[in-house]
Parts: sequence; C-alpha cells; structure tokens
Amino acid sequence: MLLEAQHLTKTFGEHVAVNAVDLQIEKGSFTALLGPNGAGKSTTMNMLIGLLQPTAGRVIYDHDPKLGVVFQGSVLDDILTVRENLQVRAGQYRHVPADRVTVLSQQLGLTAFMAQRYGTLSGGQRRRVDIARALINNPDILFLDEPTTGLDIQTRLAIWTLVQRLQREKQLTVILTTHYLDEADSADNVIVIDHGRILAQGTAADIKTRYAADRLTLTSPDVVQLAARVARQPIRRTANQLTFSLPTMQAALDILTANRSLISNFEFRPGTMDDAFLALTGKEMR
Amino acid sequence: MLAMIKRNLLLYFRDHSGVFFSLLGALISFVLYLVFLKKNMLASWHQMPDAKLLLDTWLIGGTLAITSITTTLTSLALMVTDKEKHIADDLTLTDAGPLRLFTSYLISAAVIGTLTQLAMFGIMWGGFYLTDGLTLSGTAILNTLGLMVTSSLLAVVVNAAIVQGIHTVDSLGKLGTIIGTAAGFLVGTYIPIGALPSFAQSMVKFIPGSYVAALYRQFLMDDKLKTAFAGHLATRHTFERLMGVRLTWSTLLTQQETYLIMGLIFSGTVALVFGLKWLQIQHRRQYLRER
Repeated sequence: MLLEAQHLTKTFGEHVAVNAVDLQIEKGSFTALLGPNGAGKSTTMNMLIGLLQPTAGRVIYDHDPKLGVVFQGSVLDDILTVRENLQVRAGQYRHVPADRVTVLSQQLGLTAFMAQRYGTLSGGQRRRVDIARALINNPDILFLDEPTTGLDIQTRLAIWTLVQRLQREKQLTVILTTHYLDEADSADNVIVIDHGRILAQGTAADIKTRYAADRLTLTSPDVVQLAARVARQPIRRTANQLTFSLPTMQAALDILTANRSLISNFEFRPGTMDDAFLALTGKEMR
Repeated sequence: MLAMIKRNLLLYFRDHSGVFFSLLGALISFVLYLVFLKKNMLASWHQMPDAKLLLDTWLIGGTLAITSITTTLTSLALMVTDKEKHIADDLTLTDAGPLRLFTSYLISAAVIGTLTQLAMFGIMWGGFYLTDGLTLSGTAILNTLGLMVTSSLLAVVVNAAIVQGIHTVDSLGKLGTIIGTAAGFLVGTYIPIGALPSFAQSMVKFIPGSYVAALYRQFLMDDKLKTAFAGHLATRHTFERLMGVRLTWSTLLTQQETYLIMGLIFSGTVALVFGLKWLQIQHRRQYLRER
C-alpha cells in the first residue's frame, strides 16, 4: 500500500471535520473523494499531504514519496508569466532537469501562453498551468483538490482526460476530491464522504449496485390490474404508468416477463451515481 | 533560494504603482518637512555658517533611516500575503525547506530596502544640489552607501520579528500605517531629539532606527560640522547631542560604539527571529516523524 490513513480525525474546536477516516491508496490507482460541500474532503486531503496535523490517527506512506498538489485556489502569482511561475517553482526543487518546464509545457499544451501573465489566463488554462506546477518534481502521487470546480463542461472534460492520461502514461497515483458525480464514475476507487465520515467505498460500479436502486417504469392500458399483479409497491403511480424501485435488473426482468400482456411500453434505468449519492448523503442542502 | 528571491523581487518591481507609492510614502515626509518645518528650524540656526547645508544633510540622514524601516516592512508583507493566499502551503511542499524560504523573504526585503534608499538618496541629494548647491565628499558617499545595506538588514530582522506575529494582510497594513507615522518621531527626524522631553528621548534610544539615523548624519554632516564648529569642540558636541547626530548613553557614543550597538541589536534579533522559526519547524518535524 502506497498510502494508508488510520482513524484520521480532525476537530476544529467543537466541530468534527473529519471523523476516524480509514483509507488505503494503492500505487497507480485513481481515487475520488466524493462528497457535498463541507463534507471534510479538503481537510482529509490536507492531512494526507501533511499540511494539517490530525487531531488523532495517522498517515503512513510506505516510503518517502514525491508529492504533487493542485490546490483548490490559485497558488501562482498573477503578475508573473506562466514561464516565470513555473521556473520559480522548478528552482525550489532539487534534481529537476533544466528543460523540465519546457517539456511540461509541451505535454500539457501550454506553449501558446507561456509568455502570458498567469492572471490573464482563462479558468481552464490556469488549471492546466496549476497541474503543470504540480508535476514539476515528477511526483509519485498527484493530489487534486476540486480541480474542475467552476469550469465549463468542455474544460472539465479536457482536464479530466488530461489527468486520466497522466495516470495511465506515467503510472501516477491520483487522489482527487470532487462533488461532480460523473467524475467519480470513472475512478478506480470512489470514497463517499459526508460529515467527516466515510459512507461508502469501492468502485463506482460497486457503489451504484449497492446504493442506487434501478428504476422500472411501466406503461399499461390497465394500471389497476398490473399493480395488483406485482407484489412490490410502486414509488409513483399515474393514470397509465407505474414506477418501481428495484434492487437488481433481474427483478425488473421478472416483472416484465410475468406481466408481458399488460405492458404496452417500459423504461428501465439502472441506478446512477446521483441516486447512490443522494441515498447516501440525503437530500438536505447545506 | 535564488529562484525565490528573484520571484519576490519580480513581484515587487513589476507592480509599478506599488513601487511609485512606496517611494512617494518615503518622500512625503521629506516634502512636508521642507514645506512646513524647514524655515522654522533655519530661523533658529541663522547665526551658524552653512546652516542650510547642515540642515539638508541632517534631513537626508533622518529620511533614509525612516525609508529603511517602512520599505522593508512593506516588502515583508509578501510573507503575510503568501500565508493568507495559501501560496506558503504550496511552497512548503518544495525541497526548499521553511528556513530557506523564510530567509529568502528577508533577503529580498533587504535588497528592496537598499534600492529604495538609494533612489531616495539620489532624489534628495539631487534636489538639494539644485536648490542649495549641496555637495558630498567621496568618503561620505561610500559610507552612506554601505550604511544603506547595513540599515536595510537591521530593519528587515527587526520588522521580521514583528511580522511573524501577524497573520492577515489587513492588520499588517494597519500596523504599517502606525509604524510609518511613528517612525519619523521615533528616530528623531521631524523633531530633533534634544527638543524632546526626557521620556521621549529615552524611547528614541530604544529604537534601532535611531542609531541608523545618527550614523547617516555623522557620515553626511561630518565635513559641514568640521567647518561650522572649527575650534569649538564642546559646542559641536552639544549640537551633535541635540540634533541626534550622536546619541548619548552615559557619554556621547562614538561611531564604533554606535556600530557595535547596531551589531548587537542585529545579532540579538536574528537569534530571536530564527530561533522562533526554528522552534516552529522542529514542532512540525516532530509531528512528521511520529506519523
């Protein structure tokens, strides 16, 4: 195990931000910490990085790994150019090859705006520069704290593709926090956090099967008779439609085959990450 | 560390309006002095030969001392800004190490302090050259240039001791206003130390900048004092004491003694500032080792 957290806990006064979190991160894996605002994601990440001291619990690395971090906010200087910013950071590390900044700018497609001031870049360009900054020391683990928050969908996709490419090509271990559910969908390991606790952990598929119910909507000329023949209670009922929430696809198939004659149309929707997330964290706003 | 110093300097000098106002801030007390106080003081010195030039050099010395204090404080604000904007978090992840990062802030502030004093010196001398025909000897200029570096270093460590306890840019700005206002009185630039009540006089002697101002005046005024007080050593000493050209402990301090005192203040503050920083780092290391 590359990185392990045991009973990681952080309290701020009375408020428990992170509550006995256990984590295991394998080398080369892609982990998404998923949770609503204020769930404790960033606090957890800051403890993993070593910027924050846990109130209790431990963080264990199997050796002394090189870390790269993309912070939630900008940590580069607005009035310096992209090249200057990256050169300054490169100068802060030992054993960084002289052409590292140039190589990174080509890999991440920054060449067009290397001479531009960081403060004048668009949100997506900034994010790419931030990622380049995090990669300067050729890290073993890349942490990203809400890397795509506030970006448009095209840019989100581009950033996401970039991070996945880096993970694949460089055998990078990636840990990121997000509250976009679709992003968690493609992670190897999804950890759902709320109120500082881990609510669920596993692959996206695992979590969906476990926490997101499938939905079957049946259209029928005789809704009353159909309802009487299905043992389950529908979650929604209209003049010509019934909707059931089902644990598995098999259950849906059973209903469909048994009542074939009464069904004029149907729609089956497997459980989504949204369903799982809402089931886990509740519908309340915070 | 070099990369970091370069960054700090770039950030300072690329902000042109920032540089302009920083110079203006140092210049404003000088201009106000010329407008409101110079005539008054000249009137009381009228029987002295070269009174104008003496007062000019006296003022340059005091203003340079103020400049060293205020500009280094403003430059150290970057340390607080970086903390507030979480840039410091990013920097601690690098291999540079907290002590070297801290030192790079101090060095860049000292460089900025020296350069600003140099600019101020040029502006003031130029102005007095045009109005009063002020000239300075080569030794005076060399000594003054050397003192610019020393005074910046001293001001940086003293200010760093203060800034370490401050965590927001907002409160640092307020502190800057207070120090900027007080500095002129505390180092005896606006009102000669001899004209102050005795409590205020002792307070002036507690401010490191007062020794800087005294040394500047010794270097810049020496030639003029020699001619003005030729053969009247006792009168010269009285004048020097009153005008803060030399500060008094039990007797008038010599140049060597003044330098020694500055050296002691410098080493003491360096020990304090770096000691505190070192303790902070040890505390953090210990935690990291335990995990």
